[in-house]
Amino acid sequence: MPFNQALRLSSVLLAAAAFIGLALGTNLPEWLLLLTGSSLIVTLLRTLGVDRLRRVLDRIRLSTAAWNVLTVIAFAGFWVDLLWVSADLLPAGVHFLLILMVIKLFNLDQRRDYLHLYAISLMAILGSAASTTDLWYLPVFLAYLLMGVWTLLLYQLTKESDAGPTPPSLPDKSALVLRGREEITPELFWLANGLAVGALCLTVLIFFTIPRVSAGFGQKGSGEGLRTSGFSETVDLGMIGPIKRDPGIVMRVELPDRTGVQMDRFYLRGMAYDRYDGKSWTTRLSHRRALAESPAGTFTVRHASARSPRPLGQIIRQTILLEALDTAVLFAAPYPESISGQFLAIQSDPTGAIYLPFPASARLEYTVYSRPAAVASADLQFQPALYTEVFAQHFLQLPESSERVGALAQEITRSKTSAYEKAQAIEAYLSRNYRYSLDISPAVQTRPLEEFLFERKTGYCEHYATAMVVLLRNVGVPARLVTGFLATEWNEYGNYYLVRQRDAHAWVEVHLPHSGWVTMDPTPAVSETVGDSQWFALSRVVDTLRLRWNRFFVQYNAADQLAVVRGLKEGTTVVRDRAWSSFSSLLAPAGDLAGRILRHVAEGNVRLMTGFLSFVVLGVGLVVWLMQRKPWDRRRRTDPISRERAIIAQIYHGVLRQIARNGIPKPRNATPREFLQLVQQQWAAAGESVSTITELYCRGRFGKVILTQQEIDLAYHNLRQLTLLDPPLR
Amino acid sequence: MKSTQLVSSIQENIARVIKGKSKVIELTVVSLLARGHLLLEDVPGVGKTTLAHSLARSLDCSFKRIQFTSDLLPSDIVGVSVFNRQKQGFEFVPGPIFANIVLADEINRTTPKTQSSLLEAMSEAQISVDNQTHPLHQPFMVIATQNPAEYHGTFPLPESQLDRFLMRVQIGYPSPEEERKVLERPQSLHPAEALQPVATAQDVLALQQQVDDVLMEDSLMEYLLAIVLATRQSDLLSLGVSTRGALALSRAAKALAFVRGRAYCLPDDIKELAPAVLSHRIMVSRSQGLRHRSFEQSEQIIQDLVESVPVPV
Repeated sequence: MPFNQALRLSSVLLAAAAFIGLALGTNLPEWLLLLTGSSLIVTLLRTLGVDRLRRVLDRIRLSTAAWNVLTVIAFAGFWVDLLWVSADLLPAGVHFLLILMVIKLFNLDQRRDYLHLYAISLMAILGSAASTTDLWYLPVFLAYLLMGVWTLLLYQLTKESDAGPTPPSLPDKSALVLRGREEITPELFWLANGLAVGALCLTVLIFFTIPRVSAGFGQKGSGEGLRTSGFSETVDLGMIGPIKRDPGIVMRVELPDRTGVQMDRFYLRGMAYDRYDGKSWTTRLSHRRALAESPAGTFTVRHASARSPRPLGQIIRQTILLEALDTAVLFAAPYPESISGQFLAIQSDPTGAIYLPFPASARLEYTVYSRPAAVASADLQFQPALYTEVFAQHFLQLPESSERVGALAQEITRSKTSAYEKAQAIEAYLSRNYRYSLDISPAVQTRPLEEFLFERKTGYCEHYATAMVVLLRNVGVPARLVTGFLATEWNEYGNYYLVRQRDAHAWVEVHLPHSGWVTMDPTPAVSETVGDSQWFALSRVVDTLRLRWNRFFVQYNAADQLAVVRGLKEGTTVVRDRAWSSFSSLLAPAGDLAGRILRHVAEGNVRLMTGFLSFVVLGVGLVVWLMQRKPWDRRRRTDPISRERAIIAQIYHGVLRQIARNGIPKPRNATPREFLQLVQQQWAAAGESVSTITELYCRGRFGKVILTQQEIDLAYHNLRQLTLLDPPLR
Repeated sequence: MKSTQLVSSIQENIARVIKGKSKVIELTVVSLLARGHLLLEDVPGVGKTTLAHSLARSLDCSFKRIQFTSDLLPSDIVGVSVFNRQKQGFEFVPGPIFANIVLADEINRTTPKTQSSLLEAMSEAQISVDNQTHPLHQPFMVIATQNPAEYHGTFPLPESQLDRFLMRVQIGYPSPEEERKVLERPQSLHPAEALQPVATAQDVLALQQQVDDVLMEDSLMEYLLAIVLATRQSDLLSLGVSTRGALALSRAAKALAFVRGRAYCLPDDIKELAPAVLSHRIMVSRSQGLRHRSFEQSEQIIQDLVESVPVPV
């Protein structure tokens, strides 16, 4: 099969695959199914060489202008369809697409038309992909892929040939092919199919490996989540230490408004623990309750333990992008009041910690409004406090500790009266007299607290916090241990905190009679473990880009697509209403007439109907006639002479290229005949062909006689001969 | 094609007399068909007069020869009004310019006054005597000769007047073989006298009409204008080709295409004719002035300029 015919065949099959996809996937009206289907079959038969059909089709060939008019009419029809008939973008677009496909199928002359057809088929296959999730789509898509590879290959092959584009008047005859191989050889056949299979395999590979929506197999931590420490029901003393050097990113916290936020120490609260047994912390308040969802997907947190009215502090709004972790805890600045995000349910426990029902498998984003605790002025003086037994059981519980701890607590707080003063004194004592270090042997210690307080006097946040809680409880102040993250790395480019594994932290919450739970931290501020070098500034820029990427691309999921579609739908409704109102107000009389006609039609007034229809048909016919004759355009652009000139000039340019490739470029000042002499001198073998073409070229290019088909074929033939010749001897 | 045969038979006819100068003969016929006049510039005795004579003989039309001398008066060319006793009035007696082919021999020997009377007649195709306008015969062609070697007692034609000639042609010496053939010819009779006419004046007018219909494609027109523009912009020339020169080149190219049996021009036509049609219309800049108004020099300059203009493809 010649290349050109093969290209035509594969193009039509490509369109057919796309059409079948649409026909199966969407609800097409019968007339459109019939029209497109029959057009495809007719074109297919014609391409396959049914001669009688070809003759009939050639007879009804319309001019380009007529096709353009049809396209414009189809476009008008699309608007009518969009605004009134289907009243929806997708079906109207699909109908328009199929009409365009039919128009192009019958108008498949130039390479441009082929490209249009490919674009239409691509949109059709995309449309069918959007409208279905059924399995039958797979074979249709496979057929489309195969045909697509074939078409691309053939398109390129016919384009690569030397004569350039196929002249418009010679669709099949003058097919020029590379090196004279006109037919599709078995090698080429299998090569193309192999390419298609290869492309398919590659697609499948990409389908399964490239991250989609927001997770992929190769993504770090996905599936199981980052391993974190300190957020289970039990925390052994010394668990946080080993991760204090891990720079893995846990979350990013965006703060739109930074007023009232202590910038260098931004706490992100995770869980609170009440019971210390001398070695590890556990929480006995782990029964969770689901939070009530207010209408807009926002969950409100109620603090069961905060009985007294909380002093009003500045509300902090945070948007947190949390990596997939192995814990269900959601982090937030103390104390969260409401949380919103794409959650099905949110739970909280009595200590104010927030949980997902189960650990998230993918990165998630949520917004939290927090109100930090402030110390009420009443708490600055001594206030007698009475705690319920349950409360005391939880927050005044003490392990069997030695006398020394109790004595130390008494000694530190000797001169202090109020609970807050005592807490401050202990906080100051610990942070002043103990040294912060991560170099603690992880060996199992029998009494880690005593060891820290009296022997080693070196430790990290867990030790400090545990010591403070135990000391406070020893002097009768309720306290609990809190784990979470202490964010210190502010990214000034993106205005967010970057929180890493090594920012894991433990601190203390002290209960004051009037203020409720207040955050305190005995751990001394530690100088950055890693210097703030230039590299860090750069890495912050890079991380900003990473956050943006996540925000705008990865998180752009099906829900967002649906939102866009919904917006479009609403938009079209608005446009339709507005168009209709302006249309009716502008053309009220015409609209009135149209309404009357429609009424008549509804009443079955056949005569008026036929009159109206014939009027429309006549009008359309007149427009088509005018476009074809173009009485206003005296200089016909498609006069046969200039078309022939273009063809023979193309052939001649092909000759020039071919000869130049053999080392004889045409001097700019040489006339065709002078160049012919040059060629005859330097490349005798080519002389005859070049002479024939030059003669035809001179006649066709500068003369007023139209070259005959035979002459153009002759020129093509000679050009082909030229490509087969051996290069001139040097 | 009848007209093609006619044209070639005219050329063959002249070629019987002028041996080995088919190129010059072709240019002569081109001038005739382009309604132009021809300036033959060469040394004496190479067949300038014979060429003109043969053309006139071949065409079966009237032929007059004017030998230009320093005492020639305008009235000797265009004619004079004399008193007719019988009619009691002045009567115009036509001069030798009233002919189809006029040979102006040694045109640079006469005074500018007389020269200009001839040149006016050439461009207007009519003359005015005593407020009376007399149209000249059609077809009308002047073949002027001039001798570049002699300067004594000559009045060289200024460029503005040379412009009236369609082309300037050099005949040149024949090759030894051709010259031998000339010598071998019987000397008793002037060879041109033996020629039989092959075309009539009416035929020539019809051919001229057909030349007008020859197609010059738009890109060739551009090419021609580019050449003309190149002469105007060249540093070698102090005077470029005028619009009349461009018109002349276009007409000549059409005539050449016609003579060669084509109904359309080719770039080759323009390229080939440019030296003959343009070289006498330019003034070589003084910085280049080696030889005063040398034929070869100006032709070479035109040739180079033409080569500098890209040919449309």
